[in-house]
Amino acid sequence: MKRRDFLAAASASVLPVMLNGFGLKAMSGQSALVQSLLGTTALASDRALVIIYLNGGNDGLNTVIPLDQYSLYNGLRSNIAIPQNSVLTLDGNAATGLHPAMTGLKNLYNNGKLSIVHSVSYPNPDQSHYRATDIWMTAVDANQTSDSGWAGRYLENRFPGYPVGYPNTQMKDPLAIQIGYLTSTTLLGSQQSMGIALSDPNSFYQLVGGPNNNTPPADLPCCEAGELIAYIRRQQALSVGYAKEIKDAAGIGVNRATYPPAADKNYLADQLKIVARLIDGGLNTKIYFVSLSGFDTHSTQVDTDVTIGAHALLLGKLSDAIAAFQQDLNLMGKEDRVVGMTFSEFGRRANSNNSKGTDHGTAAPMFVFGSSVKHRTIGQNPDLATLPGTNGNKEIPMQIDFRRVYTDILNDWFGTNRTTTNSLLFHEFPTVSLFSDTVETVTSGNWQDRSTWTVGRMPFANEYVKVNAGHTITVGQNIMVKNIKLNGKLKFTGPYKVRIVG
Amino acid sequence: MPYLDQYTQPLTAKTAAHLLRRATFGPTQTEIANFTGLTADVAVQQLINNANYSPPPPVDLDSTKPTAGQTYLDKAFNGDRNFDFGHYLRYWWLGLMTSQTAPPSLLDKLTLFWQNHFVTTREVVDDYRFVNQYLLLLRNNALGNFRTLVTQISKDPAMLRYLNGNENEVGKPNENYARELQELFTVGAFDFAGNKNYTEDDVKAAARVLTGWKYNNYWVQGSQSIGTTFYISKHDKTDKQFSANYGSPPNNKITGRTTSTAGDEELTDLVTMLLNHPQCPRFICRKLYRWYVNPNVDQTIEDNVIIPLANFFASPTNNFAIRPVIVKLLTSQIFFDTSNIGSMVKSPADLAVGAMRFFNQPVPDMTTDYAAFKMYFDFMFWRMRDLQMALIDQPSVFGYEPYYQTGYTRIWMNTTTIALRSDYTDAYIWRWLQVKPGYKMGIDLVAWVTALQPNFSDTTNTPSISCTQVLDSFANNLFATDLFQSQKDFLINTIMMNGLQCSSWQFEWNRYRKTPTNEDYKNAVLYRFQNLMKYMLRMAEYHLF
Repeated sequence: MKRRDFLAAASASVLPVMLNGFGLKAMSGQSALVQSLLGTTALASDRALVIIYLNGGNDGLNTVIPLDQYSLYNGLRSNIAIPQNSVLTLDGNAATGLHPAMTGLKNLYNNGKLSIVHSVSYPNPDQSHYRATDIWMTAVDANQTSDSGWAGRYLENRFPGYPVGYPNTQMKDPLAIQIGYLTSTTLLGSQQSMGIALSDPNSFYQLVGGPNNNTPPADLPCCEAGELIAYIRRQQALSVGYAKEIKDAAGIGVNRATYPPAADKNYLADQLKIVARLIDGGLNTKIYFVSLSGFDTHSTQVDTDVTIGAHALLLGKLSDAIAAFQQDLNLMGKEDRVVGMTFSEFGRRANSNNSKGTDHGTAAPMFVFGSSVKHRTIGQNPDLATLPGTNGNKEIPMQIDFRRVYTDILNDWFGTNRTTTNSLLFHEFPTVSLFSDTVETVTSGNWQDRSTWTVGRMPFANEYVKVNAGHTITVGQNIMVKNIKLNGKLKFTGPYKVRIVG
Repeated sequence: MPYLDQYTQPLTAKTAAHLLRRATFGPTQTEIANFTGLTADVAVQQLINNANYSPPPPVDLDSTKPTAGQTYLDKAFNGDRNFDFGHYLRYWWLGLMTSQTAPPSLLDKLTLFWQNHFVTTREVVDDYRFVNQYLLLLRNNALGNFRTLVTQISKDPAMLRYLNGNENEVGKPNENYARELQELFTVGAFDFAGNKNYTEDDVKAAARVLTGWKYNNYWVQGSQSIGTTFYISKHDKTDKQFSANYGSPPNNKITGRTTSTAGDEELTDLVTMLLNHPQCPRFICRKLYRWYVNPNVDQTIEDNVIIPLANFFASPTNNFAIRPVIVKLLTSQIFFDTSNIGSMVKSPADLAVGAMRFFNQPVPDMTTDYAAFKMYFDFMFWRMRDLQMALIDQPSVFGYEPYYQTGYTRIWMNTTTIALRSDYTDAYIWRWLQVKPGYKMGIDLVAWVTALQPNFSDTTNTPSISCTQVLDSFANNLFATDLFQSQKDFLINTIMMNGLQCSSWQFEWNRYRKTPTNEDYKNAVLYRFQNLMKYMLRMAEYHLF
């Protein structure tokens, strides 16, 4: 039974629940909750993911700024702290603001098209660029290694046998495209990259040339030379095989939004512009990988005016590029087909160094964008008063494991079977409800404890809540939710109320 | 299998070509012939002894400037020309790599190894004098002592700039260099089994040891010299305790010093401690093996090649001398093992420089023929950059991705770079680049085959050579691996002859022999040579070495 059918069947059997005298609304098939659950699990075959790699380790604390702890923030990094009155504020979220260069992302947030996922990392984080990048791209535990990337494994599972027999009628387009000249570890399958590198769709066909009707002998010498020759021949065949589809898509596709001008040298925007054009041109590629370099800001990340400088420039490019891209998707009517995510190998240390820079750190926020994200905030600001660290150094601790975000993308965005997802990511990770209206419990615990909830914080009054089977949630306050579904239990420590605002 | 034992058979053309492809940026046919018959030991000693440590200095290559052809490193800093002068350093270096008149030397291939090991980049360092001093440090010490290299690079102005050592002061540490010094330059992040080689606190401790170093005259217009100064006032004078990864007390502690020589004294102690880490020599030897022999290191190779070589590298008698390690590796049986011939994808430098050398494209004289010199290396440099190997501009401190990332050298090859590589090698066929009047870059294929034909003009008594002779000559030493008969048949029947009998070409060839002034006759034979050589240079086999 597909997950979609299972939910439809299950929803019919839910009965009204009475608990300690409180009436809880029954879950009918027509309820918004059930509808939203159904909506998010469609096994859409035309969905795409855009991965944006921020190369170098982005300084999260100057990207998403904890306005609710401004003086602590300022105390940690007075030589680079963004002045309070310059921080961009967010609708309905007084606690958190964005760097002043990120008006584009602010608008997306306010329009419900941006999720800020706070303090993303993994247990025992590594501070080497190389190792940390590898962990993020291969999605392993800090003490494990893998030769394949997480997205590469997904594609390999979904398109078995690639590249033998590809392109074919079921999948005539590249499985993944990296804009640039190299392909990332993220896209590595067990044998080779599942993606192709493409720097300029206009010239690609010309460069690669059309198909050649002569089939050369397939003989291979022994040993590694033979393996390498086979590999190179496959790459040659793939480039030729995909050249026409890419040429056609680039020929049909247009950009409808205004992208940053060439003078901005916004290479990320240039890359996303190509992606948008290929999507508009009808390419069914599942994953696009783009990147922006320069985030390793050990020194002078701000100018004398701390709101400008190297880091501001980078964040401005990131924000402008995503905003233009999202607008482009909107204008072509394909917003519901694409989600994007940013990641960087680590965040930077909470305290700045004396070079107006920041050294390598641990957790940092991720952005997930698109019209399909359901919560603008996942997790909450790091608690700056209790940061761990030694010798005067302060690190941002993890709230959300990055593989939970991958889990939601694989399960709920690409519709991957859960068991498959768990094996692709080597473990089962709880959802962060990226694509679900409903905030669920991940464990028994207190209602106000952030680790109780999939979204890493208490549910808001405008959110659906589901207490999962086997979980007992202790309530020590009045609570307000849009609706609640109880498969587990609520335990009240006093005469508190649950208000359903519906 | 004897791994590091010396390979004693006299070199054949195949093994001589293998050695030259790996130790240099690729041989000429003459060099292969000259090395055939030598022992590996004699051959490698030649490659070492041929090193030229005092080549003519770089010159201004901009022919629109009055200073064109003149040296500039001996003059005061000229910020207006900063990019050009930094950029010309790369052409200067490429010139040393590409020259076919200098006897073959392994120095610049090894210098590139160290430059890709102790990475700094022209773009970040920016001041051309800093880049020059750094490059000379690496080149002059490439075959020297690793201890010297690590010590000197730690206070090199370009490195102080690239990894922020310049800003590393007492009480205000900047950990950037201290981390990479351990992770990338000496001990490596992990041992072969995957255990961490040092702790985060070791990074912080090393940063404190390295406080107080500053570079001078960065971008100071009109300044005559650059250098490094140690400021005791900026130095952390306290003791620095390292983890047990660096041995047991007192060996893992660096005593804080207080005098003006504190910087050098503590740096010496630090380098000693880093080099005494048992993983340091292994890390370096593994990387050299990956550079010269094969990127894949399994447990057998680790046990039989890396560890013995590392033990030798660090032994008291050798004491981190680099040259004997290079000799040992390049004359070893494992280096010449059949499975290691053709086991890597050529880097863009191996491809670009290698093709120029193999096809004897002479390098114009830098000083007297600077415009042509610039034209030649403009062509190479920008294409190498598009192929992801901008010289002295690595994408990160890790170096070029194919030297450390999963997949290794096959990362050089993907749908786009394969196409760009074809575009590069096609240029040798179409010959559209005029280096200077009278010098069109590329292969004169008709002249090549003419030289093969005995008694060219005597068509009456001397029959045409065969298609197989043409193919065999084109393929001679071109590939690291041997062609199969099926491939040879395909290349002649399908690519060169496009389905026609070879006799058709022989007819065309004899017609041309009789009337070599007839352009149509010439083009008829040239067309077939072009198809053949263009295809061969696009073959996967050509991209291995």
